[in-house]
Amino acid sequence: MARFLLKRIGLGLVTLFLLSIIVFSVAMILPGNVGRSVLGGFATQESVDALNEELGANRPMVVQYLDWAGGAIQGDLGTSLTSQVPAWDLLGPALSNSFKLAFVAFILCVPLSILGGVISGLRYGRATDRSITIAGISFSAMPDFVTGIFLILVFGIWLGWLPVTAQWDDGASIPTQLQHLLLPALTLTIVLFGYIARITRAGMIEALDSDYARTAYLKGLPSDVVVRRHVLRNALLPTIAVVAVQIGYLFGGLVAVEFLFNYRGIGALILDAAKAKDLPLLTSGVLVIGTVYLVVTLIADILYAVLNPRIRLGAAE
Amino acid sequence: MDRETRRHVDEYRGSEAGPLENTLIDDLVGGELNRQEFIARASMFGLSLGTVGLLLRHAGMEDLAQAAPQVAGKVGGTIRVGITAFGGSLEPYLLNEGGSLAFAGMPGEYLTFTNPQGRVLPALATSWKPNADATVWTFQIRRGVKFHNGKTLTAQDVVASMRQYVREKSSNAGLTPYFDPAGVTARGQYTVVFRLKSPIGVFPYLVSQTTYQAIIQPAAIAAQPGSWVKAGMIGTGPFRVRSYVDKKSAVLVRNDSYWGGRPPLDGVRVTFYQGSAPIVLALRGGQLDLAMQLSPQEGQPFKNNSRFTYYAQPTSAHRQVCMRTDQGPLRDPRVRRALALAINRPQQLARVMLGAGQIGNDTPFWRGFVSTDRAVQQRTQNLNLARSLLRAAGAEDLKFNLTTWNFLDHGDHAASLQAYAREIGIDIGIEVMDSSRYYDAEPAGADYATTTPWLNRTATLTEYGARGVPNVYVTRCYMSTGDWNASHYKNAAFDAQARTYLAAAEVAAQRRATKAMSGLLLRDTPVITDYFISYVTASSSKVRNYVPEGLSHIRLAKVSMA
Repeated sequence: MARFLLKRIGLGLVTLFLLSIIVFSVAMILPGNVGRSVLGGFATQESVDALNEELGANRPMVVQYLDWAGGAIQGDLGTSLTSQVPAWDLLGPALSNSFKLAFVAFILCVPLSILGGVISGLRYGRATDRSITIAGISFSAMPDFVTGIFLILVFGIWLGWLPVTAQWDDGASIPTQLQHLLLPALTLTIVLFGYIARITRAGMIEALDSDYARTAYLKGLPSDVVVRRHVLRNALLPTIAVVAVQIGYLFGGLVAVEFLFNYRGIGALILDAAKAKDLPLLTSGVLVIGTVYLVVTLIADILYAVLNPRIRLGAAE
Repeated sequence: MDRETRRHVDEYRGSEAGPLENTLIDDLVGGELNRQEFIARASMFGLSLGTVGLLLRHAGMEDLAQAAPQVAGKVGGTIRVGITAFGGSLEPYLLNEGGSLAFAGMPGEYLTFTNPQGRVLPALATSWKPNADATVWTFQIRRGVKFHNGKTLTAQDVVASMRQYVREKSSNAGLTPYFDPAGVTARGQYTVVFRLKSPIGVFPYLVSQTTYQAIIQPAAIAAQPGSWVKAGMIGTGPFRVRSYVDKKSAVLVRNDSYWGGRPPLDGVRVTFYQGSAPIVLALRGGQLDLAMQLSPQEGQPFKNNSRFTYYAQPTSAHRQVCMRTDQGPLRDPRVRRALALAINRPQQLARVMLGAGQIGNDTPFWRGFVSTDRAVQQRTQNLNLARSLLRAAGAEDLKFNLTTWNFLDHGDHAASLQAYAREIGIDIGIEVMDSSRYYDAEPAGADYATTTPWLNRTATLTEYGARGVPNVYVTRCYMSTGDWNASHYKNAAFDAQARTYLAAAEVAAQRRATKAMSGLLLRDTPVITDYFISYVTASSSKVRNYVPEGLSHIRLAKVSMA
């Protein structure tokens, strides 16, 4: 296990390094420059050039990258060119916000989706299965901002039960924060439910159809024992992999939801950084999201091994 | 008019009034100016309210109540304001976006204030006087004003601030063409003298909030460009910043020693929104009391709704369809006039802006400017004439692209023009870019002036914000040397009239010049300006005494909550 972890961490660092180079290079190719972004379309070219010079944004790409990378290795993620504050001062709160939303969405979405998939698999071919499947597909097909607007209209404006934005006052209590996070988390739950439920359903169907499940039934074990002890841990293996990827999405991919609910998560922050060509902030942000992805997939792989002895034993051999 | 009034007026004219003031009075008495225009001009020359009232009585016009009717609200409470987030800086000299200037303009203030009716009012300056040729302007600074850090405002603060805005190479203030750092000096504690590079008859407008970068900072902070935000955004405004979380939220508290009187509200809670759609939702859901600005489409749910107040303030903001006069398919003025004649302007205004605006006449001279001659004939749709002009120009199968960027409803505006053009046989293709591409050199690093799309494409559609006077539009968009001259219009006669207008301090001279410029622009039609845009926003009906300023500033000094 230790060798496995070290190998994964090593590969992860290489991945992050390559990611930073790719993001930096691609961002440099994009049109625009930070001076023009800050001063606007009507500023004179002289003013724009002067500001780019002040910010060091007119230096060669390699110089800018090495400057940033040198600091990043020492834990300094650089200074945001547009805000002129340390990048971590912006990334930290955004990451914290994304974590809170991802956590609430996770505890809403994952158990519900798995439950839906399990029920669907157990009632394969029947009305319950069809209802859950069709509902799941329909929800997944709807863009997240459409779902979000619908929920805002119903629960925020017409019924007035929940706040329409996910922004609470500083110092708000946990229940208040949860109240503000409920609508965006519900939006994400509706969007992700169909996908996770279908993967779980497929796993359940395959596991229920397997020889070991049939043997367990023929041994006379009650149905719930068969499902709990034999079927579930095999059926959920693909679900774990899918959930791990979705957690990564919950951290960095929620630009539309963050926009709609005015939530300053890391997705919106990185989008703004990309639009303004704020390279230190953009690269640092992508690195942070990349790290989250790597950690989450590592945890998923470990969980996979815990649940599946074949993988543990295969690795040992 | 009584004898006493005449005596006072004669005394004033003989002892205090200079040539410009006397000409202004002659214009008033001679019927060249109506009451509102006179008040606007008088305020520009720094005449006191008492003198204005005296002169109006002298001319037989009643001096009506100055203040807007005040509707009672309660003292206290916090207003929740939604402002669009911004990508740039809050440092005054770098201000650029609506959200940043709206927020910076809460703690920060300016020497003068241009109101929505085009009148320049005292703010941190109480009065101002030009010399005979309007090349030197002397401002008296308001006494007893305290910054939020307790320091008293003096002329040195004004000088230090203004010098920053013309000295910094990256400054966005646009004041450098008007004066040098050495051209603004203090004379004593409360007098500031501006020595201008050329005559400017309307200079007080140019140091109002319409130059939104020109916030007056404490001298010690102004001496270190880029330190205003770190220092706590110290200004003289009715509210001071207590806390600010970058692009998320801010809390402002009442400035109890505000020079304009103690504001009714205890404070302001600002939330920055990543777009206007979340602002609309938050206002509808009761999480906001006031929105910074909305598009006409976004304002619709708040119209005729008793829970909300809808505002539509006419402004000089407008969109320019600039057509290359020096090359390409639009270089023939007959073709450009034909396109302008194809537009049904009232229909265009109703279609694109839902009526929130005023008809334009292919010039930058908004009807609300005092210097606009309203006798200039309004261009109207005339399809037959448009077609004959195209035939005469041999351009019956004309095709070209109209380039714009993905801002608000520019795409809708372009599509509407495309539809009108089709009626006379012109085929317009629409190209919508991202702002970073539209306003930057193409390719990156190339010469900006000759490659940036918004200044070089065959036809472009660009929006210009509101101003109190048309000077910026004239000098930068239409004069041969203008750096925003996207149509590459070069007309020596127009330039001469523009220079005459810029130097003129009397209304009659300004109107003669704008009338002449209008005639040239209608003949040559380098630009189509089919409408001027009203500033639209909304608030909860609990908000009292809010008056939108028209350029995104949010003025809350007199606002209260029901």
